Amino acid sequence: MITVTINGKKITLQKPVTILEAAKIAGIKIPTLCHHEMIKAYGGCRLCLVEIEGVPRLQTACSQPVADGLIVLTETERVIEARKAVLEFLLINHPLDCPICDKAGECTLQNLVIKYGPAAGRFAEGKRKYLENYEDPLIVRNMERCILCAKCVRMCDDVQGASAIAITNRGAKSYVEPFSGGRFNCEYCGNCLTVCPTGAILSKMHKHIYRPWLIEKEVETVCSFCGVGCSMILQIRGNSIIRNIPKTNKLNSELLCNKGRFGYDYINNSNRLNTPLIKKDGQLQPATWEEALTYTANKLKEIKEEKGSEAIAGIISGRCTNEEAYVFQKFFRLALRSNNIDSSAGFAYAPAQKFLEKIFGQGVTANSIHGISNSDGIFVIGGDPAFVNPVLGLQIRSAYKKCIPVITVGYADGLRNFSSCQFVPNPLTETALLAALVSEIRDKKTLSGERPAFEEIINKVQRLTPRDISDTCAIALDELNEALAILSDMTNPSIIIGRDIVQTMNGHINLMLLAALVYLLNGRVYLMSELPNEQGLLDMGCQPDMLPSGRPLAIETFRRRCEEIFGAEIPSKPGLTFVEIIDAAFYGKIKALFVQGENVLFSLPNIEYVRNAIENLEFLVVQDIFLTETARIADVVLPGLSWAEKNGSYTNLERKIQFTKKAVDGHGMEQWKAIAELSKILGFDMNYSSEADIFSEIAKVSLLYKNLTTKDIIAGDCIWPYKGEPLRHDTHIGWLEVPDILPLMKKPEIGKIYCYKDACLFYAENSSRYSSALQSISPAPYVKISNALADRLSISTGDYVNVSTENRNITLLAKRDPHLPENIALIANLDDKGIFNIINWKLNHVIKTPILDGNEVIIKKIGGNNNPS
Amino acid sequence: MEKVLLKNIHNPLSADIDEYIKIGGYNSIYKAFEMTSAAVIDEVKISGLRGRGGAGFPTAMKWLFAAADPQKPKYLLCNADEGEPGTFKDRVILEKNPHLLIEGIVISAYAIGAEYGYIYLRGEYPNARDILVKAIKQAYEKNYLGDNIINKGVRFHLQVHCGAGAYICGEETALIESIEGKRGQPRIKPPFPVNNGLSLKPTVVNNVETLSNIPYIIEIGGDTYSKIGSPESPGIKLFSVSGHVKKPGVYELPMGTTLKEIIYNHCGGIRDDKKLKAIIPGGVSAPVVTPDKIDCQMDFVNLSKVGSMFGSGAVIVFDETVDIVKVCLRVAKFFEHESCGKCTPCREGVSWMRAIIERISSSYGLPEDLNLLMEVSNNISGKTLCALGDGASISVQSFIKNFRNEFEEKLRK
Repeated sequence: MITVTINGKKITLQKPVTILEAAKIAGIKIPTLCHHEMIKAYGGCRLCLVEIEGVPRLQTACSQPVADGLIVLTETERVIEARKAVLEFLLINHPLDCPICDKAGECTLQNLVIKYGPAAGRFAEGKRKYLENYEDPLIVRNMERCILCAKCVRMCDDVQGASAIAITNRGAKSYVEPFSGGRFNCEYCGNCLTVCPTGAILSKMHKHIYRPWLIEKEVETVCSFCGVGCSMILQIRGNSIIRNIPKTNKLNSELLCNKGRFGYDYINNSNRLNTPLIKKDGQLQPATWEEALTYTANKLKEIKEEKGSEAIAGIISGRCTNEEAYVFQKFFRLALRSNNIDSSAGFAYAPAQKFLEKIFGQGVTANSIHGISNSDGIFVIGGDPAFVNPVLGLQIRSAYKKCIPVITVGYADGLRNFSSCQFVPNPLTETALLAALVSEIRDKKTLSGERPAFEEIINKVQRLTPRDISDTCAIALDELNEALAILSDMTNPSIIIGRDIVQTMNGHINLMLLAALVYLLNGRVYLMSELPNEQGLLDMGCQPDMLPSGRPLAIETFRRRCEEIFGAEIPSKPGLTFVEIIDAAFYGKIKALFVQGENVLFSLPNIEYVRNAIENLEFLVVQDIFLTETARIADVVLPGLSWAEKNGSYTNLERKIQFTKKAVDGHGMEQWKAIAELSKILGFDMNYSSEADIFSEIAKVSLLYKNLTTKDIIAGDCIWPYKGEPLRHDTHIGWLEVPDILPLMKKPEIGKIYCYKDACLFYAENSSRYSSALQSISPAPYVKISNALADRLSISTGDYVNVSTENRNITLLAKRDPHLPENIALIANLDDKGIFNIINWKLNHVIKTPILDGNEVIIKKIGGNNNPS
Repeated sequence: MEKVLLKNIHNPLSADIDEYIKIGGYNSIYKAFEMTSAAVIDEVKISGLRGRGGAGFPTAMKWLFAAADPQKPKYLLCNADEGEPGTFKDRVILEKNPHLLIEGIVISAYAIGAEYGYIYLRGEYPNARDILVKAIKQAYEKNYLGDNIINKGVRFHLQVHCGAGAYICGEETALIESIEGKRGQPRIKPPFPVNNGLSLKPTVVNNVETLSNIPYIIEIGGDTYSKIGSPESPGIKLFSVSGHVKKPGVYELPMGTTLKEIIYNHCGGIRDDKKLKAIIPGGVSAPVVTPDKIDCQMDFVNLSKVGSMFGSGAVIVFDETVDIVKVCLRVAKFFEHESCGKCTPCREGVSWMRAIIERISSSYGLPEDLNLLMEVSNNISGKTLCALGDGASISVQSFIKNFRNEFEEKLRK
């Protein structure tokens, strides 16, 4: 117990903190400019100088730890004189351009000068001059206003881990600059903007627009980009979002990523849909809502009657809210009587979760993101969390900095400097690697006996040693042994699983082996989620075989319960998954497709095939905010509202429910409202007055959300299990098969190059394509190839290459990458020159996911004379 | 008195290990390794040795703190970033007597239990670098460095790390940052390097001259050593004397030798027998003194009694021809150039002081400038992160206090 006296006030503390923190507890404010809770103390600005009894020199409160019996004075004449002196020093070179500075009104320096009074203006020399730097598309630097608190630099180094900026030069000539010079070569998280206390680092997006006192309202909401669901505050003037700032909370602290911070401008894109469109004479033409809805309803009715309910399918986007998803599935199941409902969550997130929940019970993936940095080890596979779920990625980086071991399997650029071991196995050999990890760890550890049936399965996994697989996987034996040693030491690691390990030929086996790993290491599972509400879609029953609350359609008691509440019968036959729907459309089995928010012609490979399938439909309705590639070939297009224009809730990957709130008005109709209207015309009434109305029904129907009120969610921390116990413990693993691993241990043929999707930091599926901010930093379509391959084909970074598969090819810019194996090429899915334009997919019949691995490509330098084999 | 630190330096081969061994070099290692490490620290404690880099912190106390810390590994860093204007004593040791330094480092490392060490060498000393690298190689060959030094099971590895021309890297925490590959800026203290230094492990940073005294202390014993020179701060000291004396250079003398003796006996008096005007007794961070202080003994205690500072023992002598305001400007320019920019008062204040002095010096000053200068310098003093700002402030103030009339003269023009 430590007792300190600050300004005569006695404070008792449990553990030693700094004087600044102790003062904060006591409600005493000490001014600071260079201090930030998230960053290590710096002691640079010297504003927090305080007097300590018995210490002749003034001490900085931000760095000085308290000791028992310390007597501190923070408001003496000497202290105030020191603060004034420091402020005078800061001002001598600071321009007095507050009237045109965007920071005015929320500038810490300005506020302090107002508090302590301006200096007499004794500085007769000319101020430091720097030109404002506009070279970057998103961030403006005004180094005249910089007070060199270095918060931006420390944020970038210590928290973001990007280390993109630094203080350049020395003494009074210092300034902050990116290492790359004019334009930033960074992750564009913009967290430097958050911490800058003056107007030195500004966002170009609201330059000369933002005035804090002209902000009319602030709306607390959730980011619409990925499954982390960062909280943010939208600042509104008129009907526009002027700025977007992070909210301080446990989930994302004060952090955002590039998409969350800058990407919101897609809602202002001039290509937004304003009015419904109906295809007449092969052309989409404006129509009234009434026309469009009646036409749609009649058409759906006609197909339902003529071809049967099974000929109708619905695809919803992971960007839709829980309320929309709930109404969507209800419309399909009850009004159209079809279970053909799925979303892109069905590609990997849903199958992975279902698979793991069948073994471990419901809620196995509901683990707090915040907890990652407190685990004793991290295992990442199947994607780059630092790019897919950036704020989750920061937890991994922060863990690594705390010396927690991180093992990354697969190419993950964002964790390159934050992994104890990182290896990219040979294409198609991940299963062999996982099997070896499982078998080795199994032999090292004693099984707990907690789940005997699953242990039996684990015991059946073939014995494979690192030596057996080292050559196949092309991973050095000592690296494998090192990783194994590190893994075996973990007792409660975070195991973070991405799409890429699921969407493979052996996806189901990989999941089984990962489950074994989770069991052996007592791990906590996190599934990377590329969209904000993939989890919500699952919980709402937007799956062909699941009802709301993630209960299988096959469980009759629950189905009956729902039917009672709905007052209508639910078809009992499971529907088709996303990929099955496409196949069925191709073969003419699906006649009508209703797409809400998804761009089918963008999110699946083999776009040509998908296009043929879609064009084969009799009737296509697209409800979206943009005229996407899919909408362009639709029969009816219904304009929806964007995430900022409607109320709703998202459930993030850790199963935290959060509200998104309406911030501005939009031109479309709420997606659920349009569907309810359609339903009404079709004879099934859904009378909801608002999103809250829908939510209360969800709380009634769903066992997961039982008795959950909007109040609970607004109060925050609405995390799994919401009220009481998780629901399904009834795990049975009779269906699990232990495959023969040996036949899977095929080494890829020498000389073949396999292409995979590259996770691009500035790009998040469809909507980022409509954000001009993200477009301005997004790279041109590219292919990443290894240095070895590039050398062999004499390709340099910046050369154009031709990348071709069996029958398609695209021209891309080449990027050399020293960390890639020679037989892997990475291509992002950017616009019409993305990887999905050239590769094919097959269906994994066990978990119904598209198989995206094993796509061979041939790379040729354009104008060059070479042969890759 | 026989030279200790400058022993054998006139031998052109003095930097060679064989020459050093010939005159009894590396004997103290054998003696020290027979003692316990605690006994070595004790001997240094009895000797009364204080740091020769400028701050004069008792060496043994630093060692005791680091030795008591249970964390491993420990580091011993030799501060060879000799950048204080007027100071050039370490250079003589580095270039002429590197093995004395290495011997001192090995004994000190043994005392504190350090297994790794760096000599942080001033970037502007390229010759010293070559000599040191060679000397370290020789020491490894003769088993005075390595995993099993003189087969006594003592492990210590030493490496040279070159600075890149920043004065601030002579500050121990900035020096550590620099070795870690970061921008050379001082850290906040606490924590102190003795507990959380290089890579946050216990680290002792000692000056070249301090470490070079260690073999001699071990050889003659702490008690005998403590009888040399001033009783309060005993020992032998290198004085770098520059400026307007007939024989500038590095002089090895006992602590407590008076300024008068140094200037008139050892350096042959003022150049051209002009009148003495001012003396900076301890490098430019030390306040300037007037000729009436010439009988002051040069040691940590007596110089502070006359309002100055012993510092690194760098005596800069100015004769009557010197324009004191220009000297003051030169000093201010130095500090402005070397301020790292981390803390506000030093970054902004020192550059402001320079601007005012520049104005006064070029006779464009305003009547209130002298007061303003004093106020600005007061506003720096005591508020900075490290001692650089304080040094600049104290130094400028001393020029005004001692030579106010010369400043006023400029203002009248």
